[in-house]
Amino acid sequence: MARRFRSFGAGLFAPFRRTTGFGRWILAAGLVLVAAFVLVAIFAPLIAPYDFNQIRANGERFPKAAPPGGDFLLGTTSFGSYDVFSRVVWGSRTALEVVAIAVLLSLVIGVPLGVVSGFLGGWFDRVTVLLMDALYAFPSLLLAIVFSFLLSDLFGGGVTAAGVALIVIYVPQYFRVVRNTTVSAKESTYVEAARAIGAPKRTIMGKYVFGNVIQSVPVIGTLNAADAIGTLAALGFLGLGIQPNEAAEWGYDLNRALPDASAGIWWTGVFPGLAIVLLITGVTLVGEGLNETINPTLRRRKLRPFTLPPRGVATMEHGKGQVDL
Amino acid sequence: MAASGGSLARYIVTRLLLIIPMVFILTTIVFLLLRVAPGDPVSASLGGRLSEEALDQRRAALGLDRPMLVQYLEYLREVVTFQFGETITDNRSVIDIVKDNGGATLTLSVAAFAVALVIGLPLGLIAGRFRDTVPDLVIRIFGIITYAAPVFYWGLLFQLLFVLQLDWFPVGGSASPETIFLVEDKTHILLIDAIIAGNSEAVVDVLHHLVLPAVTLGLLLSGIFIRLVRVNMLQTLQGDYIEAARARGIKESRVMRSHAFRNALVPVITIIGLQIALLMSGAILTEATFNWPGIGNELVQYINLRDYAAVQGIITMFAVVVVLVSILIDIVNALVDPRVRY
Amino acid sequence: MNRRRGLLALVSSGVMVASLAACGGGDDGDGGPSGEDNGSSELGAPWILGTTDKVTTLDPAGAYDLGSWTLMYNMYQTLLTIPAGDNEPQGDAAESCEYEDPKTFTCTLKEGLTFANGNELTSSDVAFSLTRNIEIADPNGASGLLSSITAEEGGAVTDGAIETPDDQTITFHLNRPDTIFQFILTTNATAIVDEETFPADALVENAEAVGSGPFSMDQYEDGQQAVLTANPEYDGPKEPQSERVFVQYFQQPAQLKQAVQTGDIDVAWRSLSPTDINDLKDSDSVSVLEGEGSEIRYWVWQLGTQVGKQKAVRQAAAELIDREAIAENAYAGTVDPLKSIVPPGFPGQIAAFEEKYGANNADEAKKLLDDAGINTPVDITLGYTPSHYGPNAVDEANEFARQLEDGGVFNVKIESAEWTQYQNLYKENAYDLFQLGWFPDYLDADNYLAPFFVDGGFYQNNYSNEKVNELVAAEQASSDPAERQRIFKELQTIVAEDVPLIPSWVGKNVAIAGPGMEGVQATLDPAFIFRFWEVSKAE
Repeated sequence: MARRFRSFGAGLFAPFRRTTGFGRWILAAGLVLVAAFVLVAIFAPLIAPYDFNQIRANGERFPKAAPPGGDFLLGTTSFGSYDVFSRVVWGSRTALEVVAIAVLLSLVIGVPLGVVSGFLGGWFDRVTVLLMDALYAFPSLLLAIVFSFLLSDLFGGGVTAAGVALIVIYVPQYFRVVRNTTVSAKESTYVEAARAIGAPKRTIMGKYVFGNVIQSVPVIGTLNAADAIGTLAALGFLGLGIQPNEAAEWGYDLNRALPDASAGIWWTGVFPGLAIVLLITGVTLVGEGLNETINPTLRRRKLRPFTLPPRGVATMEHGKGQVDL
Repeated sequence: MAASGGSLARYIVTRLLLIIPMVFILTTIVFLLLRVAPGDPVSASLGGRLSEEALDQRRAALGLDRPMLVQYLEYLREVVTFQFGETITDNRSVIDIVKDNGGATLTLSVAAFAVALVIGLPLGLIAGRFRDTVPDLVIRIFGIITYAAPVFYWGLLFQLLFVLQLDWFPVGGSASPETIFLVEDKTHILLIDAIIAGNSEAVVDVLHHLVLPAVTLGLLLSGIFIRLVRVNMLQTLQGDYIEAARARGIKESRVMRSHAFRNALVPVITIIGLQIALLMSGAILTEATFNWPGIGNELVQYINLRDYAAVQGIITMFAVVVVLVSILIDIVNALVDPRVRY
Repeated sequence: MNRRRGLLALVSSGVMVASLAACGGGDDGDGGPSGEDNGSSELGAPWILGTTDKVTTLDPAGAYDLGSWTLMYNMYQTLLTIPAGDNEPQGDAAESCEYEDPKTFTCTLKEGLTFANGNELTSSDVAFSLTRNIEIADPNGASGLLSSITAEEGGAVTDGAIETPDDQTITFHLNRPDTIFQFILTTNATAIVDEETFPADALVENAEAVGSGPFSMDQYEDGQQAVLTANPEYDGPKEPQSERVFVQYFQQPAQLKQAVQTGDIDVAWRSLSPTDINDLKDSDSVSVLEGEGSEIRYWVWQLGTQVGKQKAVRQAAAELIDREAIAENAYAGTVDPLKSIVPPGFPGQIAAFEEKYGANNADEAKKLLDDAGINTPVDITLGYTPSHYGPNAVDEANEFARQLEDGGVFNVKIESAEWTQYQNLYKENAYDLFQLGWFPDYLDADNYLAPFFVDGGFYQNNYSNEKVNELVAAEQASSDPAERQRIFKELQTIVAEDVPLIPSWVGKNVAIAGPGMEGVQATLDPAFIFRFWEVSKAE
């Protein structure tokens, strides 16, 4: 039990050390990619030569749709003549901000809700499970579309609106996994023991169950993050996302680049698209790597692997843990 | 663990009953979100073109001036009777949209599924079989990238390469205008209509148009399939009976074929069936990218017109379909796979 | 004479039924390609028009959008029509029309007109078509254009407004002196439908829609394609050059462009992005054809705000706008600068804003504000809506904001809202200056003046000028072209002085034609009628 706590909190390298073979390299490659994007996002003002909505420097206007090279590393766009490199760099900030809002908030809502629901059981549990299952069954892009409709009117679009729109999709995922783990943890011997020595409910929930449950969270978090980047880009692509003078967003730039592509102006679409692919790949690699370490299953022991419960399953089983630890 | 017939029946009934609250919750969410939003559906799609009086008239005609609760009950009644309302911008009923465009979506989905299976199953099995080797790594990375690249990005690259550069495939649409005109509409599914008509040129034309969209959507799904198949294969290989078979000196290739592959695939098939939600999200973007005349393409058009009523109707319809299909699969799963606990 | 015609009509409609049946046989796969077996040999090859426009309905009472109207102009007749490249209405179903006085308009129909289904077209059909449009009052329809014969309470024709003394004659008694009415009669709000086929109180099913125009609808798949076939019943001047025309609908401009580039379609019309148009200009395989347009964009001052109510501020902004730069930077040169609210090509148009302000004059702007004793820089809020006017709207807003700031006398804040909210916000003084677009209902300068400047205009910007109201009423009551043009000029001059809005640009009517296409250029005029009958494709 003590080891479990330590493995979660014992520093970033613990999971890395526990992997073997390609799993380790997958995790490493993913971490490098993600770290690169995080650094770019943090230091965007230093890295990007221009602002995301800047169209001239030293009193001179940027050329429209200039090819890569010269003053413009990745060329300029044909809409508004922005610097593509700068917009790709600033775009990583937008993407990570939205993802951070979405993942953190859904974690903050989803995990406690899952623990409480699983621990308390009864009608509260049943109702919450039903509600979450309904949201879970909903195709995520459609849910995001509905929410961005609502939120763009409330918040006038922007990063916050996009982030909040994604929360709704992810809360049920944390909820399901955490709740099911809680239910199994509740029955486990160490919680029985804690209960037997008269530990109060809150302590049991907070200390024993929560600590146990939290282990599965990083994996879902990374998978969600990957999905969030894709969904944000899709919203931008459908013209429901962030406006170009609010922030740089890859999906929007890709949408505006559609006519360019067939006109031989390939750089306006290829680079934002590549950024999306690389970031999602990086995050997914981290998720895969973590999955192999946190779930020893995928190493050489006979346990069930962690897989996200398939989308669209409407389950109401009790006591059936999705993650066997 | 053997289930008595009684508890199986009970399980199925419970599942079926679950449809009611699920659909109820989904429809309520959609209704609340789209109606709570400031600005009503009428001024969203028609405002600026009509006077205030005319807008009021239209609101009254659509019953939007009634109390929210009344509207909500009316909407629930419509959903229960499989009516999903009418669009505001062109007075089409959502049922008509499903009839007119559902065939194309179905064709695309089935074709994409086929592509994903053809790519995903063998690659997943190979990756699992040759775990931690170079092929495994390559296949896994392929799987991750196909999943990571947004459908519209693939679509864009494919169009540039195969349409504009090589001119192998048409830009978009489900068939050339002549084909659509000549083939008589019987089943609302163009490919089947063309086959019924015995018009081989039309069949080829339809298939020609189908290739790029199906491959694009299929690639997205194959990423998931590879992952699921691989993990199941790994598990199966750790099973006692594999060890036993090996211990009995059965040849490795035979162990793989008659024990591992089969056992790895059984659970995968049901899990894959549950990818319908992902399939739908992907289909919407694929249809928009390739001008594929399906429901998703219509949805995008109505989004652009800000026709809230149409968006509400189509999304509710999607939601209901997803719930029905996933519960159906749950039940089938329970019937087929004795390991499911109920 | 009349009966003979009727007989002929019956015979030919029989032929049509037979040929349709033959076509139906072809559908089952045992007949030959239908283009050959029922096409008359004189008519040219079928061709395909691609567009991103959306069709609402094929019933003239239910649509007021270009996508639907494009099909209707080819399916239906109206009493009057605007020939390609012209401004003056001429007879279509009508032999002649004239104003007896500014409140009475009489038309005589041509003899022997029939619908594609063989039914005769009489003045009673015309009266029926207008009446049902007003009575149905579909919110997507254009019944609002018929206000001159609509009863005050709406939903019905004014008592006695339409009179049909005999089968060939129809007289309109207008509510008020209205010389614009003749233009209304060229629009599809007045397209003539068959009273035996169309319900009086509801829209017709698309499959039932039938008219008397040069083409009839053979197949219509919503959002996918429309197939029009030359109407053998039609015997007028709009003689089809092709037996069959396909219209294919696209979702994205990029797809439309690729389709015309690869030859999947023969003509691409509405709407390609500026990048596409410029790229295709360099292409050898297709030609980019441009005609004068009538769609405009402009920036409205909200006079209800503290900033907008000051005339010197409004004028200063008019000094600073650089229309060439907007056209170039936001639209890649595919639109033309708009120098008065009335676009060029309309009788009576003058470049009023250019005459008064020139272009991009920072010193003048500063001087105007200083003279009025206004502290600079002035904080203003600029409004635009992101999706309703296409993706380039935001580029224009950014560009205009920069021009205002570069003048050194404005501090600009840009705000946007979805169309739903936007319409309320600009009326509620959320923006000092906001962007709107306009597509004319009919081709007369009046349509660029009356809706905009009489008592705040349709956008309610609180601008009101007694003189303007009087001039508009006078122009609408006059049937003397010279007099009306004089008034139009005076109105444009007043507007340039008062600056209730700042004109920005006027779009062109652009089409891309593939190899062998003829007659496309001729139909590209400000009326935005795509005249299928003018176009042919060389085999």
